[in-house]
Amino acid sequence: MPIFLIDQETVFTYDYLLKDINNAIAYYPMFRTINLYDFFLNFVISLASNKPIVLIDSDLNNSEIEGINEKSVNLAYPIKQVCFSSIEEIVKCIQVSKSEISIYTSGTTGQPKKVVHTVSTLTRYIRVSDRYAEQIWGFAYNPTHMAGVQVFFQAFENINTIVNVFNKNRQQVYDSIDKYGITHISATPTFFRLLLPIEKTYDSIKRVTLGGEKSDNKLYEFILQIFPGAKINNIYASTEAGSLFVANGENFRIPANIIDKIKIKDNELMIHKSLLGKSDSFNFQGEYFFTNDLIEWTNKEEGLFRFVSRKNELINVGGYKVNPLEVESVIQQLPDVIQVMVYGKANSVLGNVLCAEVKLQEFSALSEFSIRQYLSEKLQDFKIPRKIKFVNFISLTRTGKIKRL
Amino acid sequence: METKILEIINYIRINKKLEALSEIHPSDNLRNQIGFTSFDLAELTVRIEDEFDIDIFEDGLVSTIGDIFEKLK
Repeated sequence: MPIFLIDQETVFTYDYLLKDINNAIAYYPMFRTINLYDFFLNFVISLASNKPIVLIDSDLNNSEIEGINEKSVNLAYPIKQVCFSSIEEIVKCIQVSKSEISIYTSGTTGQPKKVVHTVSTLTRYIRVSDRYAEQIWGFAYNPTHMAGVQVFFQAFENINTIVNVFNKNRQQVYDSIDKYGITHISATPTFFRLLLPIEKTYDSIKRVTLGGEKSDNKLYEFILQIFPGAKINNIYASTEAGSLFVANGENFRIPANIIDKIKIKDNELMIHKSLLGKSDSFNFQGEYFFTNDLIEWTNKEEGLFRFVSRKNELINVGGYKVNPLEVESVIQQLPDVIQVMVYGKANSVLGNVLCAEVKLQEFSALSEFSIRQYLSEKLQDFKIPRKIKFVNFISLTRTGKIKRL
Repeated sequence: METKILEIINYIRINKKLEALSEIHPSDNLRNQIGFTSFDLAELTVRIEDEFDIDIFEDGLVSTIGDIFEKLK
């Protein structure tokens, strides 16, 4: 019987999953859990029953998202029991599921914003065929985020095995690759940078997919040294639109089937609304959505381009996008804080590390430690500045450069 | 220099509610023995850079306390 998931040495077969799905008489529309099997089981049940589901992070604080009622988190909702005869039947059923899947994204203002997707927007680039059978996926993303959802669909629809390596340390990742013969890993550049230094090579890996952050040639070379049998590609996906482009190296290509749905204005990538999920927070011009991603053509005739930078102020910390305004507004709520500036500082581990400058009231007893403790009750870990400097006046711009007066 | 590194490591550990260490050894692995995640390693590089003006992770070749000492020599 094929294996569905391996998490912390525990093996869950597809047979086991099938039984759990067939036994289900309820599901959680809003499920907060640290258990990956329970998360996937609940996700599949919601899709197979055509019920809506909201994906929320396991470490989310109650105050972090507007409109989420704590009472509705982990509240079971009854469903009609269905009896599937095989996993293949479930896969077919979820491919045409009518479920609305809500994912949260770091908005450019205020708190995270909800984007509502359907299975069809989420699985636009999922490939299903015998060619993809028997792949073993290292699962290296948060399952509630767009990239994690993409990897899940790719693996599940091909009845592949998923091995959880998310938030595992370097040795655990290598042990999992060795022990379970992982063939595919999709992860952020930060994930791969943390596999360094190279001590031995791993031949089972056939494909490495990078996403969520900019990568570079130096990293590709490292990856090829560790995984000599791997092909590398880059993927551009967003919470708003799901996966859109794939690149070999840094040149992305606009696929022919969506070429009429992509526009470039003042170097900014714009996406037609038909490619997007639904949200109240989207910034449209006519029927096109501003991505805030600035690009440069490398070969316009062939539709090849590369990403240059971001237009807005979201800070990419190891693949997590942080809205500095959100963090600032939480720090600002401390009575002793007069002014605060949150910014990203270039970092060789995470791409950027979150830092803050804080101006306090005179004689304030607030320390870096006390502010971080306070933030840990209000924000997810990746949104907490790793360095807080107390200053008499805020001197930096958000990009960490000295402000020119 | 070694005392300063211990001080920085303990500062990061205390912030993540781990006990301070009384000593560190060159063979200690930053992830396994010291208990650092990627975010902690990023913080470590920032704090060491502030103190010594060296980006220890620039070439990605740091796994142990001894590797840090080597970079700062």
